[in-house]
Amino acid sequence: MKVLETDIAVIGSGPAGLAAALEASRLGKRVTLIERSDDLGGILQQCIHDGFGLIRFKKQLSGPQYAERFIEELKASDVSLLMDTTVLSIENEHKLIRAVSPKEGVLEIRPGAVVLAMGCRERTRSQVEIYGTRPSGVMTAGTVQRYINLEGYLPGRRAVILGSGDIGLIMARRMHLEGIEVLGVYELMPEVGGLARNVYQCLIDYDIPLHLSTTVKEVFGDERLEGVRVVKVDENRRPIDGTEEDIACDLLVLSVGLIPENELSRKAGVLISPVTQGPVLDESMMTSVPGIFAAGNVSIVFDLVDYVSDSAEAAARGAVRYLDGQAPSAEPLDVILGNNVASLLPTQYRVDYTGDELSFYLRVCKMESNVRVALRQGDRVIKSRKMPVVRLAEMVALTLLREDLALIESGMPLDIHIET
Amino acid sequence: MVKRLNKLIARHVDTSQFPVKATVRKDGVVVLEGEVPDWKTADELAHRVAKSKKVRNVINHLSCDGKSLAYIPKKDLIEQGRALGTFDEADVIIVGAGVIGSGIARELSKYNLDIVVLEKGDDVSQGVSKANNGMIHPGNAVIPGTLKAKLNVEGNALYDDWASDLQFEFKRIGSFGLSYDKKDRYTPWLGWIAGRLNKVPGMRFISPDVFLEMEKDVEVRPRRVLYAPTTAYVDGFEVTIALAENAAMNGVRFHLLTEVVDVDVEEGVVRGVVTDRGTVKGKLVINAAGVFADEIAAMAGDQFYTLHPRKGVIAIFDKEKKGPDRSMNGRPYVYQKNTKGGGVQRTVSGNPLWGPNAVEIIDKTDLSVQPEDLDYVMGSGSVVCPGTKRTDIIASFAGIRPADYKEDFIIERSRVVKGFIHVAGIQSPGLAAAPAIAKMVEGLTADELGELTRKDDWNPIREKPVVFSKLSPEEQERLVNENPLYGHIVCRCETISEGEIVDAIRRPIPAVTFDAIKRRVRATAGRCQGGFCGPRILEIIMRETGLRPEEVRKQGKDSYIVAGTIRDRYDAADCCETRASVGIADGVAQETGAHHESA
Repeated sequence: MKVLETDIAVIGSGPAGLAAALEASRLGKRVTLIERSDDLGGILQQCIHDGFGLIRFKKQLSGPQYAERFIEELKASDVSLLMDTTVLSIENEHKLIRAVSPKEGVLEIRPGAVVLAMGCRERTRSQVEIYGTRPSGVMTAGTVQRYINLEGYLPGRRAVILGSGDIGLIMARRMHLEGIEVLGVYELMPEVGGLARNVYQCLIDYDIPLHLSTTVKEVFGDERLEGVRVVKVDENRRPIDGTEEDIACDLLVLSVGLIPENELSRKAGVLISPVTQGPVLDESMMTSVPGIFAAGNVSIVFDLVDYVSDSAEAAARGAVRYLDGQAPSAEPLDVILGNNVASLLPTQYRVDYTGDELSFYLRVCKMESNVRVALRQGDRVIKSRKMPVVRLAEMVALTLLREDLALIESGMPLDIHIET
Repeated sequence: MVKRLNKLIARHVDTSQFPVKATVRKDGVVVLEGEVPDWKTADELAHRVAKSKKVRNVINHLSCDGKSLAYIPKKDLIEQGRALGTFDEADVIIVGAGVIGSGIARELSKYNLDIVVLEKGDDVSQGVSKANNGMIHPGNAVIPGTLKAKLNVEGNALYDDWASDLQFEFKRIGSFGLSYDKKDRYTPWLGWIAGRLNKVPGMRFISPDVFLEMEKDVEVRPRRVLYAPTTAYVDGFEVTIALAENAAMNGVRFHLLTEVVDVDVEEGVVRGVVTDRGTVKGKLVINAAGVFADEIAAMAGDQFYTLHPRKGVIAIFDKEKKGPDRSMNGRPYVYQKNTKGGGVQRTVSGNPLWGPNAVEIIDKTDLSVQPEDLDYVMGSGSVVCPGTKRTDIIASFAGIRPADYKEDFIIERSRVVKGFIHVAGIQSPGLAAAPAIAKMVEGLTADELGELTRKDDWNPIREKPVVFSKLSPEEQERLVNENPLYGHIVCRCETISEGEIVDAIRRPIPAVTFDAIKRRVRATAGRCQGGFCGPRILEIIMRETGLRPEEVRKQGKDSYIVAGTIRDRYDAADCCETRASVGIADGVAQETGAHHESA
């Protein structure tokens, strides 16, 4: 069995893994990047639509273009790559990673610190209430995206989309352009789940109907999908009798949400937050296991890739400080989710944190206009930001600079909330 | 007897509005005909008639909303099959590759017999054997004196041999019968009495404290606990595939996607069967067709029972969810008739499993799951594990029990046709009884064909396939060095390597559909439900079998995964555009057409 030693092992080479590996390498550490497929870039490679990198590069890039900017830099760096290598387990005490690849066999990697960057996965049919049979032709939007964009397959001919998340909206347009008849997008909630720009660019521009407060209740077909039954729902999301409608189709595309991918994190004994479904993280993006950090969508599902990269760089800096013996050691303060805050990252802060800046990322429970996002400690406002509107679909970032961070004192918990 | 039956009918249906007629055949079989207001009435009536004195069994031709369980010959397919001619010939034709058909095939493969198994599904274990709770019942929930009771207890005891020869996952850890309060205080006692009469070994009452010590996840304290230590757990599909593989290794031929549509009988002697793919000649037909066994019997001219489909829905939870390891009843158990279902247990792979419920339906192919099914399953199970929610379900599916109205197994030589054996009505505890059923049919086969001679080279061992994730790092290393495909992890939820998938495709019963692969190696059965690994499995199937993308299926003839390639569409579009805009001569158009075909 081959044994490798490294300073920082990064698991996953999507936008988070790429950014984390580069940042750690820039800061002078030996980095090993482990990727299970034979391509770098993760899910970005199948996202051939544009809209990536608006904040970071001030440009509308496609997924592969966004990835390429990092991959080029990575190839010029001294980051070691382990491609086609799947991590089987992480032993928490010594952070010993066991992995396997067709070429190298079973590998044992002994890093000083680990950055988890496995991304997220899609919610499936079993996580939404759909009754009926179990035919082929029910797939997640990401799978449809992969079939069309990477494999060149036609996943079906007449499609219904359940869920108005971004991937669902983007796939509505993509399928339409490939000649698949897109019969409509159905959304359980009274509000669209994806970004507003995607509603315009992907649905309205192509006359694809959007039905809010409507869901798919049942599927038909013993072998291939033959149709779905949609139904309107009331304000409590319960089906309204008599509003059922049957639609003949051979493809049901599910865009019903994403969940941070934390199989490995759990195996490593990392504490998982019921709020984000990702690891409980401190200000340095460190998990409950010292020396194991989380980056990108493993920690919380972001909306913009730019934030994914930012969070990954923060995690890498945290890992470097940890290796250098400069990790904060104060008792962590809890950051409490206040009014209209549905999920938050990070949820712990240590006052002896030495980083230059720190971003809080949150999602709201409901849409509100003319609000102020505020981080408080007791009666004192540490930092706040005015926003014309906050939406379910859009993440809110609140970035604190060194002078803001200096206002935080030990002892009292922090809380973050939306003020109207 | 007719008078008595007519009285019975009048108690169930308003005969002025619904003229229901009962005919008594010479052999004591009662045929019910007419229209009923609802299917529940038909079911209750037929069960009552079956209980009447001197009634051998019931054929139910009652109809409801234009539907019935009467056999209708598939004339087109019979014609098609006859026109295609004979494609195989054997001594023994087994209809159905479920656990019963495969078990019989394996048992008979010991002898110098030429055996074929005909299965209409695209894999073995596609009907009753597919969707059940995998429980090897001890035999204390069956009515004493029935064939079911005898074969259940015998079959249970034979499982150790099957498990060691066939190397399937097998856990003999026992089960419980519980009472929670006064209302269901008889539940464990009924199990105790039936178990004693059926000679179930080792059964005893244990204190609730000992029980709670054995099952730490259980959150309620029962009043009384009956423990049956011989209960075991398997995966019904794995058992079936192991049996079929071992039978195939020993010379049995399996024809999948082959539906029997008629039985050839000449002068009271079986000559073979007609399938949708052609005819098969043979001396003995063994009818192990699950829920369709009554139709196969009708084809042979010897129908004396109707199998009424009873649907059961099962819910599966994530392995991390709490739940007991051994089967135990929830509460609604005591209020529902004709079922032993509705419990809580764990599958051999470690997922909590709740259910099944029991609903009489009229359509034998209706495998849909409805909200009320899960209401029942959740209601029953949450008595034991109140912390588990409906949203924790990772998969739910329906199975069909093939029950006759006597609610017993029918295993016998035909009384009217030579060369035909009925193995019908094998509902729960059919999986537990399967080894004993195979032995019993072995005896009946000898009765039909005369003395059987044993093969010298029969090999009872079916080697377990590689499970990469369960090996030590050293073994994993050795395996990857031998075959790098084991180092390529395809399914990350369940850590399944490409090597294991290729093995499944190349084994004696090839797995070439998504569901066949899922049931053998669990790829696509995990949390992502195939979202990540689906496209890669498609590629592997195509590479190994030479199938085109649109020919790869999930399960069933029309269950394609993708409809074709994008390329095809563009090539097709190109052709049309060229033809329309340029209006070229025929020769060129043909060329374009050829290009499209080759793409």
